[in-house]
Amino acid sequence: MQFLLNGIIAGSIYSLIALGFSVIYQTTRFFHFAHGAVYTFGCYFAYLFSVQLGLDRNIAFPLACIATMATGSLCELVVYNPMRKRNATDLTLLIASLGLYIVLQNIISMIWGDDTKTMRTGEVVEGHPLFGARVTDIQIIIFITSIILMVLLAFMMMKTKFGKSLRALSNDAGLARLSGINSDRYILYAFMIGSFLAAVASIMISFDTDMTPTMGFNALVMGVIAVIVGGINSLPGAALGGLFIGLAQNLGVYWLPSKWQDTIAFGILILFLLFKPYGILGKKPQKQLL
Amino acid sequence: MEYILHILILINIYIIVGMSLNLVSGYTGLISLSHAGFYGIGAYTAALLSLNFGVNFFVAIPACIVVAMAIGAAIGFPALRIRDDFFIIATFGFQVILFQVMNNWMELTNGPLGLPGIPQPTLFGYTFSSHFDFWILTALFAIIVYVILYRLTKSPFGNVLRSIREDDLFTQSLGKNVNQYKVLSFSIAAGLSAIAGALYAHYFTFIDPTSFTIPESIFMLSIVIVGGSGRLSGSIIGAVLLVSIPELLRFVGMPSSIAANMRQILYGGLLVLFMMFRPKGIYGEFGFRKQ
Repeated sequence: MQFLLNGIIAGSIYSLIALGFSVIYQTTRFFHFAHGAVYTFGCYFAYLFSVQLGLDRNIAFPLACIATMATGSLCELVVYNPMRKRNATDLTLLIASLGLYIVLQNIISMIWGDDTKTMRTGEVVEGHPLFGARVTDIQIIIFITSIILMVLLAFMMMKTKFGKSLRALSNDAGLARLSGINSDRYILYAFMIGSFLAAVASIMISFDTDMTPTMGFNALVMGVIAVIVGGINSLPGAALGGLFIGLAQNLGVYWLPSKWQDTIAFGILILFLLFKPYGILGKKPQKQLL
Repeated sequence: MEYILHILILINIYIIVGMSLNLVSGYTGLISLSHAGFYGIGAYTAALLSLNFGVNFFVAIPACIVVAMAIGAAIGFPALRIRDDFFIIATFGFQVILFQVMNNWMELTNGPLGLPGIPQPTLFGYTFSSHFDFWILTALFAIIVYVILYRLTKSPFGNVLRSIREDDLFTQSLGKNVNQYKVLSFSIAAGLSAIAGALYAHYFTFIDPTSFTIPESIFMLSIVIVGGSGRLSGSIIGAVLLVSIPELLRFVGMPSSIAANMRQILYGGLLVLFMMFRPKGIYGEFGFRKQ
């Protein structure tokens, strides 16, 4: 039972990261690896504002989210957008984002140091009993916030004009541009939304575990896996994939030592890539990805 | 002098790595992020053979090549069915798995503690112990690898690889078994990078899994891309530049605490800049743009 619960909590975090990643992927069609570093910036900004500058958390955390959104947007404005203007392909964009990830992660190391930082107050709170397992307050907050954000995102994507434009852009960029959608601006919005989701996930996780400059790598990896497992072209798929990976990792601990958790996740990824490359919910695109 | 030789040895090792990765990424057009893994397989195979069985370095080298080629083919065969960016994700996944095996399989690899005390190579009673000896040794291997790759890339085999890079559907329509060629180029590159790994293990006499991680793979990729993809001499330029420039930072008086970060920022930044302004690299012929 405890494994199941841990799986759901881990899964909801992965879902948030995967959703952010997927929003960006669907509008730009390339893997934004630097998203992992943007995610790490999320909790380090929160640390900066709430611990180092001593601001109240109600002000510090929204500020951190805004700063993270700015970081994500800067990636797009400074690197990707000029590249797209110069006829970059998704392959060159992907390689650039790998480089960008390395740069951003090392900037974090240089500013805040490589050691582990924490925002927890120190006292160990005993969890509440639930179905024979224990959950802590922060785990409940993680779960509820994730659900709320997912519902909000679904509402925005399905019901508002803004969401429709974004979806149009991801369906057929050329046609969307013809019907008067400013693609550059909407891609920027996608980066903002994605970075916002990453910031929230990262701040929440930093209360459950601690933070290190390289934490974004693992999160990103799980996000990518979740996106592919759930279905590369589907937002609900990304959420489902995150949950699936979280559960698989935590239930896998039954049979294998926990040090193999990442291997389980990658094993799943490779099986999916080979046998079901469009994921659980994804449909095969009509135009073959040639 | 020792220090300069040390840098030159590293350059030689990375020239081997860069040229072998160039075969996959530059000539065949497949970006692979698992190259550090194969490099690590070479290092671990050489180390384990010499530590556990006392196998001579020069006998171990072919064994390293065979092991890495076999694993390369085993990984390449399924992974190469996937296209472009999904292939990159798959190699990324295999890289993490290879790292985790090195890190977690305590019984075989001694995990994060690493393998100390790898003996220096001997040949007919002569031990390669000084930096100068090692420089000669690595240079010899670099030349051998260069010749092998030069012959390969100038041969009809190399032409098929280049045509796969430009348009693999068209190549297939000419009756070439595209997948087989891709797997071959992937596994040859894995085998050649294992030579570099074995040299690395015997030079440092100590290895641990942290030398074979994803950032290392990205570093290898940036050697190929900055130097120039699709040309062997490009990888030589890339290795010389990317290994030596961070060392120059040390002379400018940069404290060693941030030197490691600066090194990574440097090659990450170069990767971004080259992708933005010159995807072909300094002296390359392929810019990752298909028609």
